[in-house]
Amino acid sequence: MELFIMTITTGIMVGGIYALVALGWVLIYKCSGVLNLAMGEMTLIGAYVSLSFYAMGIPFLLALLFSLIIGLILGILTERIFLDKLIGEPVLTVIMVTVGLSFFFKGTVELIWGTDTRVFSPPVFSIEPIHFGNIVIGRVYLWSFVAAMILLVIFVCFFKYTRWGLAMQATADDEMAALSLGVSARFVYAAAWAIAFMASGVGGTLLGNINGLNISVGYLGLLVLPAVVLGGLNSVPGAIVGGIAIGILQNLCGAYLDKYFAGGVKEVAPFVFMAIFLLFKPHGLWGWERIERV
Amino acid sequence: MSTTWLPCGVYHQDYIHDQGWWQTRFIKTKMILLFAILFIVIPEFADAYSLSVCNQIGYTILGALGVQLLIGFCGQITLGHAAFLAVGAYTSTLLILDFPWPKFMMDLGIAYPVSILIAAFVAGFWSVLFGLPSARVKGFYLILTTMAAQFITVNFLITGYVSQIGGRGQAFSLPPGTIKVGPWIIDSDIKVYFMMLVLVIGCVIIVANLIRSRVGRAWIAIRDNDISAEVMGINVVKYKFSAFFVAGFIGGIAGAFWISNLAAISPEHFPWFWSLWLVGVILIGGVGSIHGTIFGSIFMVVVMEALQLFVMQFVDTSWGEKLFTDFLFLKEAAFGLAICVFMIFEPKGIAYRWWQMKNYFNLWPFSY
Repeated sequence: MELFIMTITTGIMVGGIYALVALGWVLIYKCSGVLNLAMGEMTLIGAYVSLSFYAMGIPFLLALLFSLIIGLILGILTERIFLDKLIGEPVLTVIMVTVGLSFFFKGTVELIWGTDTRVFSPPVFSIEPIHFGNIVIGRVYLWSFVAAMILLVIFVCFFKYTRWGLAMQATADDEMAALSLGVSARFVYAAAWAIAFMASGVGGTLLGNINGLNISVGYLGLLVLPAVVLGGLNSVPGAIVGGIAIGILQNLCGAYLDKYFAGGVKEVAPFVFMAIFLLFKPHGLWGWERIERV
Repeated sequence: MSTTWLPCGVYHQDYIHDQGWWQTRFIKTKMILLFAILFIVIPEFADAYSLSVCNQIGYTILGALGVQLLIGFCGQITLGHAAFLAVGAYTSTLLILDFPWPKFMMDLGIAYPVSILIAAFVAGFWSVLFGLPSARVKGFYLILTTMAAQFITVNFLITGYVSQIGGRGQAFSLPPGTIKVGPWIIDSDIKVYFMMLVLVIGCVIIVANLIRSRVGRAWIAIRDNDISAEVMGINVVKYKFSAFFVAGFIGGIAGAFWISNLAAISPEHFPWFWSLWLVGVILIGGVGSIHGTIFGSIFMVVVMEALQLFVMQFVDTSWGEKLFTDFLFLKEAAFGLAICVFMIFEPKGIAYRWWQMKNYFNLWPFSY
């Protein structure tokens, strides 16, 4: 029972990070209709940038801030150089451009930083675990969760209460209407990519703190896909719930099923779950069901 | 109605000629010349390196053909095709290594061809299994389930279970002499090359004929608009599954063929990267065109080899050495950039340019 509760809590904490990255994904999809497969590599870039700054001796929070700024710049650049020209193209074209981007980013990251696992040294969070009664939680997990939640709240407030956030909501809801009311769609697209880049950068940094940083963190970024499918592609609360659910599922499978299978269950389980889930609920929990007309 | 452009004064008297592949003397000459180059000139004059590049091109064509069929002709986007290649390769290897073949079959050398055929069927059915969600979902959701096919098949089943059969560890090594087609033991690049030619030509003929038959027209209708196709009385689910089957079938042939070129196979030969690579090949070549598959394969393989040769020039300098040791990463980055650039500036692919060129020269030099 203790193992169960501990697995669930760890799952929720890791899931918080997934939720953050998934939020970025949903944002891009809602605002510009781009199905982004480069999310994993975006987490990688953010993580490596903040690690590099941290290795220079800059305090962690400041390094994170710098990586946010670089994420902002890269996000705007990516949107302007690659995605801007693809508005209105078929789904496959747009998806493959993001696949191309993901390879480009990944290859570049590997060329610059290599493939060896790197760790944040000295460790940002102390390795002394925290005890809640019988439950033991690593400090890294707890702080990652807290950080992810704070950022989630900031993002949600940004959408609800700022002018730019409202512009983004309007574009997501009805692009034509938003355009006619004077919202600049190009600005919204760029902002969506910038925010997604920043969110995934933070997610990657936190994930890198948990297990050390190497290329496989990019694979963790790919896990947002099951998360967003679970929640429905265009639902922000869905992304958050989906992210946490995938975190829990992954940890449960790791804890209980790993001994029955020949390894790799933790990596495959979300995708198996997703494939089965799609058969029963193709639009996710809160996604819009689009009625097609010829 | 003839689908090829006919010069002035050429008429068909019957339907057989009208449906023919090579309708004019010019096309016939051109194709015979092409076959002569493929079968005589290249094996005669190419060195081992160029032959291995040709083999790689052939493997890419075989792999990409199935992807082309699914994406280009049936509109079912797949990002997990390497899984079916892996299924084909592993089925064939396991059959060769562990199946008790009768002595006469070994002597006649039909064990490997038969194993290719079985591998193709197994991969085809495996592909249909992962095509099942296509009955219900489409677009992005289907992409996700095909991605799941990749992770489940290669990263989980093959790495965890199939590779462990016989306690060989991660890689299955094929002892020399086990791969035998008829009287020939496939042990050199030139023999692999001929086998590749036969398989590629066979598969291209299969696909080209399929897409101009009833089945292919149904696939194209589904690609263009699946709802209209259904209204017109096409059994959408059946034809989607058949597309998955044929794609997996050709993928299985590709995988089973490729083991003849590898001394050992391991799951690392079929990464997710390879699935995406195949999709990239058809996008660069041109979606919805068999020419596109071939052009894209040639383009990608040749460009990557050229890039490697280029980097090798600078292997003495420190950055050149680093690039050379990390060439795989450079290849990934170049591939990604190539896809982006093609999608943005040349979305119709190389095949479109080829088509334009052909049309221009059809009437050249007097365009009336």
